[in-house]
Order: sequence, then C-alpha cells, then structure tokens
Amino acid sequence: MREQLEQLKHEALAAIEAGGTEEAFQEVRVRFLGRKGELTALMKGLGSLSPEERPLVGQLVNTVKDEIESRLGLALEAAAAKARTIRLESEKIDVTLPGRAPAKGTKHPVSLVIEEVCDIFAGLGFSVAEGPEIEHDWYNFEALNFPPEHPARDMQDTFFVDNNLLLRTHTSPVQIRTMLQRKPPVRIIAPGTVYRCDSDATHSPMFHQIEGLMVDRNIAFSDLKGILTVFTNQLFGQNTGVRLRPSFFPFTEPSAEVDIACVICGGKGCRVCKQSGWLEILGAGMVDPEVFRHVGYDAEDISGFAFGMGIERIAMLKYGISDMRLLFENDIRFLRQF
Amino acid sequence: MKITYNWLKEYVAFDLDPVELADMLTMLGLEVEAMEPVGQGMDDVVVARVLEKRPHPNADKLSLCKVDNGVEVLDVVCGASNFSQGDTVVLAQTGATLPGNFKIKRSKIRGEESCGMLCSEKELGLADESAGIMVLAGSLPLGTPVFDALGIKDTIFEIGLTPNRADCLSSIGIAREIAAKLGTTIRYPETECKESDTPVEAKITVTVDASDLCPRYAARYISGCRIAPSPEWLVSRLTVLGIRSINNVVDVTNLVMMELGQPLHAFDCAQLAGQSIVVRRATEGELFVTLDSQSRQLTAADLVICDAERPVALAGIMGGENSEISADTTTILLESAQFQPISIRKTSKRLGLHTESSHRFERGIDREGVLNALNRAARLIAELSGGVVAKGYLDVAAEMVAPAPILFRPERANALIGSNLTGDQMARLLSCLGCTVEPTVTGALQVAPPSYRVDIEREIDLVEEVARLNGFSTIEATMPVAQVVSDRPTAHQSLEKRVRDLLVAAGMHEVINFSFTAPGMADRLLLDEQDPRRSSIGLLNPLMVEHSIMRTSLLPGILETVSRNMSFRSLDLRLFEMRRIYLPQAGEDMPHEPLCITGAITGSRDGDSWTGSGATLDFYDAKGILEFILSNLSITKVTWVADNPEPYYHPGVSCSFMAGAVRLGSVGELHPVVLDNFSLEKPVYCFEIDFDALLKVAGSSVEITAPSRFPDSTRDIAVLVPTDMSAEKIVDCVRSVKAKEIEDVSIFDVYVGKGIPDGCKSIAVRIRYRSYERTLTDEEVEAIHGKIIANLINKLKVSVR
Repeated sequence: MREQLEQLKHEALAAIEAGGTEEAFQEVRVRFLGRKGELTALMKGLGSLSPEERPLVGQLVNTVKDEIESRLGLALEAAAAKARTIRLESEKIDVTLPGRAPAKGTKHPVSLVIEEVCDIFAGLGFSVAEGPEIEHDWYNFEALNFPPEHPARDMQDTFFVDNNLLLRTHTSPVQIRTMLQRKPPVRIIAPGTVYRCDSDATHSPMFHQIEGLMVDRNIAFSDLKGILTVFTNQLFGQNTGVRLRPSFFPFTEPSAEVDIACVICGGKGCRVCKQSGWLEILGAGMVDPEVFRHVGYDAEDISGFAFGMGIERIAMLKYGISDMRLLFENDIRFLRQF
Repeated sequence: MKITYNWLKEYVAFDLDPVELADMLTMLGLEVEAMEPVGQGMDDVVVARVLEKRPHPNADKLSLCKVDNGVEVLDVVCGASNFSQGDTVVLAQTGATLPGNFKIKRSKIRGEESCGMLCSEKELGLADESAGIMVLAGSLPLGTPVFDALGIKDTIFEIGLTPNRADCLSSIGIAREIAAKLGTTIRYPETECKESDTPVEAKITVTVDASDLCPRYAARYISGCRIAPSPEWLVSRLTVLGIRSINNVVDVTNLVMMELGQPLHAFDCAQLAGQSIVVRRATEGELFVTLDSQSRQLTAADLVICDAERPVALAGIMGGENSEISADTTTILLESAQFQPISIRKTSKRLGLHTESSHRFERGIDREGVLNALNRAARLIAELSGGVVAKGYLDVAAEMVAPAPILFRPERANALIGSNLTGDQMARLLSCLGCTVEPTVTGALQVAPPSYRVDIEREIDLVEEVARLNGFSTIEATMPVAQVVSDRPTAHQSLEKRVRDLLVAAGMHEVINFSFTAPGMADRLLLDEQDPRRSSIGLLNPLMVEHSIMRTSLLPGILETVSRNMSFRSLDLRLFEMRRIYLPQAGEDMPHEPLCITGAITGSRDGDSWTGSGATLDFYDAKGILEFILSNLSITKVTWVADNPEPYYHPGVSCSFMAGAVRLGSVGELHPVVLDNFSLEKPVYCFEIDFDALLKVAGSSVEITAPSRFPDSTRDIAVLVPTDMSAEKIVDCVRSVKAKEIEDVSIFDVYVGKGIPDGCKSIAVRIRYRSYERTLTDEEVEAIHGKIIANLINKLKVSVR
C-alpha cells in the first residue's frame, strides 16, 4: 500500500510536471483526487489494513493528497497567470482614437468675465444688483449730476426711445436705484448691458459694464485704491501694477482713471498699450455729494466710492482678442474655444 | 486739444524731456493720448535754392532742377509747378526718411538722374493737404535742416481733455498746470498795445440787448491794416495745431484763442452798417449766411451779433460771410466776449455747427481774461498788418457779483482722500493753482478760485484739486473698515447662474446677440397679427435700420446666428442665448424686460466621430436638453402638451411644457417656411424657456427616499398601439396600477416597420419591481404584472405582443 501510494504520488507529480494548460491540470485533479480518482480508490483499501497500520497509512494518504493538492494549486495558478498574460498581450487597442466625450458647452466670454468679476467682489462682501436697460433720463443722467445741456453728456452718445426714455449708456443708474431703495451701508456690484450710438473696430453699439458702489461711514479715496488693487491683482495676477490718475466723471469727485501695467508687455511698451506700458481698465471715484443729495443721503455723514469697467475690454485683454466684433459675431469656431 | 513742447516752454520753465512732460501731464489728469515728433530725425531735409528749372525732356509734367543745398549743386526731378527759378525750397536729400517711413534714394526718373526730392507741406507732415511744394522765405540759410530753420522741431501732444477743464483749452492753461505742479510761475505773453489818439468811442458803438446771454462784450478798433499772408512762424504754429492759415488778421484771432483760450472775432468794419454792434436774440425764422457759405435759419433762442441793420455773426459760433475779413479790408472791429454756455450749446447742437469757438464758450471761458485776449490780439494784428489801434476799448459788462469764497475744511479733505496733509500744505497746493487762500480761526480755509477755473464751485472740487496736485500716487492704498452685511444672491440670480451652468453642461454654447433687431422679424417668424410680440419699442436714432427696434423674442437673433454659422459650413450647432427681451407695457412708461432662454440645435448628434452613429439631432435631443435641465432643478412633474404652441414650429413636431398649471415654455422643429425666411438649409430644433415661470416652480426642496436593500425583478411588455397614441398614455396606464412594488417604468423601444401593421407602432415597456421589505417572489411579481397587462388590454384596448 505504501509503495502504491509512493507510486501514485510519483505519477501525479509527473502528470503535473507534464501538464501545461489549465484544462490539463483539471484532468490531473479528476484522475488522482476526484471522487472516482486513483487516490480515492486506493483509500478504499485502508480498511484491509491492521488497526496499527491504519492511522500511519491514513496519515501518509493525507500527506500525499496535500502534496498533490498544493503542487496542483501552484501549477494552476501559474497556468492561469500565463493564460492571462497571453490574453492581455493579444488585447491591444489604439488609445490615440478619440474617446466618446459628452458634448462640450461653453459660456460666452462676456458671461465668463462677469462671473469672475462678481465672484471676486462677492469675496469682498459686494452683492449683485441689477436695473433696467431702457432707462429714464433722470436715472441715467440727471441724478448722476449730468445736468441737461451739459457738455459731459457728449461723452456718451445716447440712443433715445422718446424724450424721457433712453437705452442706458452705463450701468451707473443702478447706483441711483439701489441707493433710493436702501439705507447705507451699501456694497453692490452691478453687471449689465449698456448702449452707445457708436460702432467701429473698438466700439460696439451694445456692450457690457460692471459698476461697483460702496457707501458707508468713513470711506476714503485710499480705500478705493485698496479695493481696486486687490481686485486687479486677483483678476490679472498678483503684483499687477496699478495706477490711478485724475479724470472727470460728473458723478464722482475726485475721479480717477485706473490703469494696470500692460498685461501683454509687462509695462515695457507695446502696440496694445500704445507704447505707454499702461492699460486703462476702469473709471472710478468718490461719489459726488450731488449724487447723494439726489438719493437723499447725507454727504456730511457718509461717503463712498464707485467704479465702472467695460467687460469687453477685460475679456479682450484676458483672452487676447484683438477685434471687439468677434464677441458678437457668435462664430462657433470662436465660441468653442472658451 | 493740441499743444507743442516748444510753445509751452515759452510760458513756463521746466527741465523735462517730452516723455517726462507727457507723463506729468497725464498724472495731472490732462491725459496725453498721443505724442507726435515734428521734424525730428529729419536733418537730411534742408533749405535749398532752385538755381535752374527746365522742362523734363521725356515728361510734360516734370521739370529738371539744379538745386543748391549750400554745399553742392544737385540734380532733382520735380513734379510740382508752383515754384520758379530762384525760389527757396525744401530738399529731402538722399538718405532722408519722410513721415510714413518714405525713404529718399538716388533714382532715375524717366531717364533723368534725381538726387533727392523737393517737398510739400503734406510730405513733411505739416499739413493734411498741399498744392505743390513748400516755398520758403528767401532769407533762410541754405543747407540748414528745414525744421531747425523754421524753428518747428518740436513735439506735438494730443491731450484728451475732460469736459470740466475748460481752463486748459489753451496753451497758457496747460502751462499754468505745469507751473502749479512744479511750483514755478508763468510768463504771460505781451498784451500791451500801442494806441493812436483817436478814441475808440468815436469810431464804433456796442449795444448789448441780451445781457443774460452775453454777460460781457468788449471790442477794439484797428485801422490801416494790410491784409496779407501770415509770416512763416505763425503759419507753422497754426499748422502743427491743425488750423489752416487764412490771413494775418484771422490767423492772429485763432492763435490768441489757442494761446489764451478766448475765442475772438474780427469784423471788416467797413461792412458794418452804422459802424455799430448790437448783440440781440435772433428773430424767429431769420436767415443768416455763416462764413462757410451755409444759409442758417435761426430761432428766437439764438444769439446774434448785428450791425445797425442785420446779423453779422452767430454769437460765439461763427462769423458771417457779409462781414468777413477780405483782401480789401483795412479797418477792423475786434470782438472779445463772454457768452452764456447753454445758449451757445443749444444753438450749436441744433445747427450741427461745432467750432473751436463754440467748444470753448459752451464749457465756459475766463470772464476776467476777455480784455487780456482783446489786447493781445490787437497788439499782434497791429504788428503784423501795420494797423493802428484806436485809443481804448469798449467793454459792455453786466454787473457781476464775485462768488463768495468756498469754505474748505482740511480735516474733511483728509477724511475723503485718506491722506494726512496739514492745512498749510493744502493751502500751498491751492495757492499754486491760483486760488486765494485765507485762514480762519477754526482751521478751515476761505478759498477763492481763480476766475479761469469755472469748474471749482464747491468744497469737494477743492478736495479733488488738493488730491490731484499732490498726486494720486502719494495716496496709500487702504482697505475699508465696514459693517458685515448678509446679502446672498437673490433666487433670480442663483437660478440664472444655475440654468446657464446646466445649459453648458448639456453641451450648449452661449451666444450674445444685439438687443436691437430689424423691423419685419415678426413676419419672418409667421407671428399672428394679434401676437403681442408684434408690439415693440423703437429707437429714435438707430445707427441702422437693422438695429432700429428692441427685440421681443430671442429667436430671430439666434436663427440669424445659426444661419451665419451655416454659411461658414459650421453645420453642427448647439446654441443658446439667455438674455432680456423688451416688451411695452400698457399703462406703464417703463417696458418690461423679462429674462428669456432660447436654444437652437442642428446637425449631427455625435459630430464626425468614428464612434458616432452618424445620426442627426432631432426633436428628442432638444426635449432631452430640457429634461436634463428640469430634472437638475428638481422639477419632476412636467407635462408635454402637443398644443401647436407657436406659429414658427412644425405643428406636428412641437409642444408646450408645463409644471402643473405653469407653462414653462415650448420646444419644436422649426417650420419649413421659417427655415426659408432665415436661409437655414438644415432642420433646426428650438426651445424657449420662460425664466420667470421657471423661477416660480424651481427651488422646491427635494425629498430623498432611502434605496431598498432587496433585489429587483424586471418584466418587459411590448404593446401594439395606434400610431397616434402617446407613450405617456401607456406609462400612465401602467402606473394606474397602484402597487408600491412598481419602482420604475421606462420605454426602451419604439418600433414601426416589418411585422407591424400599418397605422400601428410597437412600444416596449420595462417595469422594475422591488419591495422595501423583502425579496419579491415570482408569484408576487406576476400578480402585479398580470394586472398591468389586463389594464392595458381593457382600458387602452391595445394588444400585448
């Protein structure tokens, strides 16, 4: 019986050795370890052994069984690994073919800039305010200290609807509407569409502005400088040079034009900045007492600043767009890039 | 406003090069928009004399010249004919570069050698137009660079003046700013004139009948003038400022206006009936011919300068043809006046006549400078024309109360600027600007601005002046200290952003079209005669008829955009616009400006991708975009009603969609006639969403159910139904079996074709069953499923396949 076991073990291991494929090993398992296999058949002879010999041979049967099991297990694993390797090697795709992407959509660059600017100011505690585009002369001009027949009105060529109504020429009337509705403190940012009777490569009869207004106790021109420095640094990058220079708007005093160091040439002078090294990006100033008088605020008690910028101008600088008309032609080959 | 570097140096001393000066002016609020060098780098353009001039043998219009440049005699071919032998001319020698990067080379012109070019004013950049070459005074030294010889090597600054700075519409005004900044003084030009013994009163009279519109009118009388061309220095000074030279008298009035900011007018006194001036309002309908030979019809609001009989000038705007200075003029009445700004502006605007003079009067001139300018001009006219100035001047001035000084509080100024200047420092800055400053016991200052600063009326104006002159760059940037306020975006703002994000996520590209549109859009959209969108808001002064009315629908704009893209062969388009429309409101003066959303899709579903099916977009793609947005907004109970919602849709391929009773919008295939009207070559599917309606139903809170932990069981049913039966009806019928085990009902196939009878379609429905309590047995599922099938057969009379 012992010899038979040894013989069986020898044959089984030889068969495993000779095997190779997973199927061959399964056959080996059936032949030797199966219910009708050789080892099972041999174990049936255990009964004929003496009681002394029976546990010893029984132990031996188990050892042989374990040995075959473990060798077979290893061999099976190796075969499976080999088969997997062959399969993986045969399955090769062309990864350079395009994938099945969901359709890409884009926001218009004007919307992108409005969102970004509003986000920056939201972080500074400004909330968004809006107003009508077809506006009363009073809100668009008079309350902003443009008296009738004042030459300052020439600064803004106006589309008229009738004697009293016009297409707003700036987002500044939102200042007036907001201040008439609320008491200070006021901290708003007002994006919107505006219109001027003007059309060429750098002027569009319809364009967009964002207006900002902050009114509170003890607001100074230096605060305006601080807020606009933070803003321009967030929009155009840290350490973007900012300069304020005196200007004139009827509704602010002191008034300033705000320039940033040219984002194209870094201030060295190029065609975009007309060799000046500076780019004008917004107008600003301290709210004129006359405006406060129109909305019933006490200019002795509170003060504030306002600023306004052209969205298209910023979009053109940010994205390197040279012709403003591209923004309103809506060519899909242009829009797709944003 | 143009000014030159050299001219400024005549009035104020400074040690700045043109670039530094431009920077200083810009930082003072006088923005230098352009700098143009005159005659710089043009040393090869020299004074020369024509020694000989004869016809070119091979060309009728050319001549051959021998030209002396002081060193040698050169051959030059010239095309101009306005000069003769012996004239002093301008020679651009070989190697010179003229404006416009025009390089002068030795060349052969029709077989004749030419070593340079004789130049015109235009070629030198001195004039916009010129007839023939420039002929110089014979006294200029040959060989000298011409810009040195004429003293016009210079830099022209183009200054973009803001409308408040009327005082800077003159070279003396700009010089005053430089002096204020540098803390130096101005050298004012000479104004003293030699007078004869004849008193002016004996020669002319002035009557002002409208002193409200003409607060001051001053005049002088000059006799014995000889009208002649102006000397070279005057011509070139006016030329660089962009003013055409006329004659020695008119040029002086223009020069003094540019120098002192006071517009002047010279009348030919011989043409003035009664040797008198009457300033009055025009009579309604009065006709008057201005210097530009245009006949103008006047109104009673216009101010005219008249002689004893008729108007001779449109006050402050333009003189009259009937009294202009001519070659025969010998006696002159010189006017220096102040006119009321609004009156000048109204007349100038109404007549469309904007002049250097009206520009200054409507912004306000220096009342105290009227006589100064009169005297300066009289002196120069006498000097240049040999005239004699009568003794004294006439000065009709309305009583004027000097404005009270302005109370200026230095601490208020510091608070507004965020600066830390002392009262003394501020007083010094204001003094530099020409203000008279008196301290008071409280520390506040009494400030009287100079008469030329008509823009300074209030304390805040002085605050600005202090900040401006001290320099904005000296102000430290600070962050405001402010109250915390809670102010989150409104529901409208949040939803607008959310919907835009969702449309983009759905693969749509945002477009922005102009808010104005062309008339006739309603017809192109086939709108009914009664459609409210036919009533729109028109512009009084549109740039073009295509942009003359405010849109009442976003659709025309987006369809034109689709059409334009198609014309560039961009055929696969998914576009949306989310903007306002403008609707007149009965009984309201303000129109309604609701936010609208319109989408348009066309072309292939997957582009040209190798993975694509090649299928084109259809109605269900447009509807799917809407479903995607609505479900993201948690608007789940939406009904789609085939109610032929709009005339511009295909009646069978369009519907409205509602959330409960709220109509949210419409979706459909574009009507073939509308496709033609917008030159669209492929089917286009559009949708419109009423944003305000969406706002009403969006934002309700979402209730979440925890998922069941038990396995599902699915069953499919295919029903054969008439073609016109809606899928919704079948799903509703399935759902009408109220079993909580029905987790989901979906339509997974719609089939028409082989094996299906005509007029029918097969709809395949998949039902997913699941319990929250246990694993369902086959028997439990079959019991419900059987009920569903029975319902479909009994209620809908359909056959189950």
